[in-house]
Amino acid sequence: MELPQANPASTLPMTPVRELSRLAALLRYEILDTPEESAFDDFTELAARLCETPIALISLVDDRRQWFKSRVGLEVSETPREISFCTYTILGEEIFEVPDALQDPRFCHNPLVVGDPHIRFYAGTPLTSPDGYNLGTLCVIDREPRRLSAEQRDTLERLGRQVIRLFEQHLLAHRYAEQAALQQAMLDSASSAVLVTRPDGVVTSVNPTAERMLGHSEQELVGHQLTSALFRREALQRRATLLANELQTPIEPDFAVLTAPLHRGRREMSEWRLRHRSGADVPVLVGVTAIHDEQEELRGYLVNAYDLAYQEQLQLRLQQIAAQVPGMLFQFHWRPDGASCFPYVSEGVEQIYGLSPGQLAGSFAPIIARVYALDRSALLGSIREAAAELAPWHIEHRVEHPRKGLIWVEARATPLQQVDGSVLWHGFVTDITVRKAEQLELERQQEMNRRLLEALSEAVIACDADGCLTLFNEKAKQWHGTDVAPVPPDEWPTRYQLYHPDGVTPLRPEEIPLLRALHGEHVCDHEMVLLGQGEPRHVLSNADPLYTSDGQPMGAVAVLHDITERKRIERLQREFISTVSHELRTPLTSITGALGLICSNVMGEVPEAMHELLDIAQQNSQRLNALIDDLLDMDKLHAGKMRFALLRQPLQPQLELALRSNRNYAEQHGVVLQLGACPAVTVEIDAMRLQQVLSNLLSNAAKFSPAGEQVELSATLSDGRVRISVRDRGPGISADFRERVFQKFAQADSSDSRQQGGTGLGLAISKELIERMGGQIGFESEPGHGACFWFELPSEGLAKESP
Amino acid sequence: MKQLKRILHVEDVPSIQVVTRIALEKIGGFEVLSCPSGQAALEQVQAFAPDLILLDVMLPQMDGIELVRQLGQLIDLQQIPVVFLTGHLQPERLHELRQLGVRQVLSKPFDPLQLAAQLQQVWEAEHG
Repeated sequence: MELPQANPASTLPMTPVRELSRLAALLRYEILDTPEESAFDDFTELAARLCETPIALISLVDDRRQWFKSRVGLEVSETPREISFCTYTILGEEIFEVPDALQDPRFCHNPLVVGDPHIRFYAGTPLTSPDGYNLGTLCVIDREPRRLSAEQRDTLERLGRQVIRLFEQHLLAHRYAEQAALQQAMLDSASSAVLVTRPDGVVTSVNPTAERMLGHSEQELVGHQLTSALFRREALQRRATLLANELQTPIEPDFAVLTAPLHRGRREMSEWRLRHRSGADVPVLVGVTAIHDEQEELRGYLVNAYDLAYQEQLQLRLQQIAAQVPGMLFQFHWRPDGASCFPYVSEGVEQIYGLSPGQLAGSFAPIIARVYALDRSALLGSIREAAAELAPWHIEHRVEHPRKGLIWVEARATPLQQVDGSVLWHGFVTDITVRKAEQLELERQQEMNRRLLEALSEAVIACDADGCLTLFNEKAKQWHGTDVAPVPPDEWPTRYQLYHPDGVTPLRPEEIPLLRALHGEHVCDHEMVLLGQGEPRHVLSNADPLYTSDGQPMGAVAVLHDITERKRIERLQREFISTVSHELRTPLTSITGALGLICSNVMGEVPEAMHELLDIAQQNSQRLNALIDDLLDMDKLHAGKMRFALLRQPLQPQLELALRSNRNYAEQHGVVLQLGACPAVTVEIDAMRLQQVLSNLLSNAAKFSPAGEQVELSATLSDGRVRISVRDRGPGISADFRERVFQKFAQADSSDSRQQGGTGLGLAISKELIERMGGQIGFESEPGHGACFWFELPSEGLAKESP
Repeated sequence: MKQLKRILHVEDVPSIQVVTRIALEKIGGFEVLSCPSGQAALEQVQAFAPDLILLDVMLPQMDGIELVRQLGQLIDLQQIPVVFLTGHLQPERLHELRQLGVRQVLSKPFDPLQLAAQLQQVWEAEHG
């Protein structure tokens, strides 16, 4: 710290009030320690001359010194604050004058007075900033005592005020320079091209981005008309026409095209293709701003050009993608006032609406015009609704396509609310005519299938792979007395009233044809009873599993055929046959009995001439008896009234008995019955019914054997069962008869009945009887090589039974 | 041994009645009283005093079983064998008949040429 060698006790100057603020104000001017400037030196020179002093200073007082911005007649550039005269000056508002420092107690010991520069006279006027701070002084100094004249004082004050103005200008210039630098930096680093023009459009400056973007150096552009240098004439012409229409005033195809909207208060961006130095086009988005000075005088224009090449690339990419997409992609902008436009539409719009993207630039109307008239209000309604709810939009509608005719299209889009309340949609529209046609055809077929199902006299029921019922046609609902319900298969028998043919025993779930089919079984003619309507309904059920085209199980279907009426008729038939048979029996017994008595001559010798006729009558009455016996047996078997007195007994005696009983009948046909091998076994049988079966088989064999042949009855044992066979050497069973051998009234030839006798019930009854006794019946035959009828019964070794 | 001679025959169907009677008379040489109903049989049984009674189960008004019960109150059926001639008889009824003392059940239709011999067998089984 440089403390002056003065006597501080008497001379220490006071500190101005608000000293900190004053110092801040001083610093704000950023003038301390700056180089000498002639503008300031002019003032000190003037002050020195006018006040006729050798020394004049512009002194600025900071916290520790006074620093001279300009000085005349003094070598030092600063002195400590403590010894400065100016410190006193800045305390007041007016000129501070010391006529003779040696005479002034405040300064008589001041080193500046007693030493170099030997000050005797000092007069300073404060330099007061516009906001009232005394920053320093403009002062004049002499080495002789003296006084300023009034004129000189006034001059000094005026000069002081000028110095402050100079400070202000200095500050302003500084600020301007800073701002200009900043602006330049901004311009230089701007990512957009910036070109500044005069009001007439002549370029005055260009930033580096513009140079880069357009390939022109600043020198090449400055001084040239912007539009003629960079814009294409046709484009200007087009835009001028458009604007002229819009603004209802003629617009010249020059720089006015860019500025005209601005003069209507519209600041807009427009797309242009500027000429690159190479001749290529540069796509840009151009914005123009007017530059006004403080007096609102138009000074020029700032033209910003944003490079759209990147966006164009994106656009191109989008177009290429869009071209791969069937149908059209779009971006649709919709405002609450109903105004709308398409910021983007892919070329596919031709495929959908027969329009080009260009036709949709301004308006949505061309599309509406192409929408099938009946679909328009629904379409507009759905747009409004989706815009209101901001929900994904999806609608199918028809389009009157100029080339394709009436087509179906499907539109999907997602609305996005914009800050201004409008809605921006992104979406696509595809031609679904083919799909729609297929769908309509499918619906038509489904409708036809449905009607078919409803028209069927059968009940149709289907379930899916999980066993959930999916279909009950009308008949199925009617018969089950209910519609499909989501109940598990276990509950079907009770829910749908499914019973065994007896109408009493409920079906077990595993017996239900539909479920059996679901497990892969092919169910054919399964008889069951439905009680859904109270009255038992007998049905035959056919059920099959369903598979998808690739073989996956997809459920099952059952078709129920109502046989209630058939059953009723069959029952009536049986009752009728039963009644008739019973009624025939009594008179037939009388006839047979009477003929028997006559033929046995108990009533006296029958005349020879009557024998033949009486024999015929007797034989035929016996045949009738046999038929009625068979009919009544069949009836009993059907009605379940046939009783079996099962008794375990040796087999062989039964075979021997059968042979004896039928020997006479065989002899009548010239056939010999023979007993072959017979193992020693017992069988549990009703002897009378076994005899009936053996009699049927033996008499058939005898009947169909040629005279002189043998019929062999034999038995063999295998696997705990005994097989009893009757083998003949007759013509065998023809292929077409094999299926029906054991059916009722089945005979190989309808004429057989008359030729060979027999009721056509024998084998059917035999089958029933054997099955009721736990056995099986069958035959083997080769046509022309005889037949072998057999039946098998469970058997046990004889030794075990009778040790 | 007492000879089988007199047979009471109850049968409502006239043609059967005639054939049966002739068969028994001509082939067996028996004396036969044919009654068309149970009532007629009850009225005449004591006067006729048969050695054997042959009857049908299905009779009008009173069926054969009821008839046997009522006959049992008039005559001693231990001495006079009863034979049924029937087309429809269920096994449980057969059991019932045996308890009433019925000796034999012959099935209809019967062979008239065999009938006399069948009855003779029953008689001999009883008295032989």
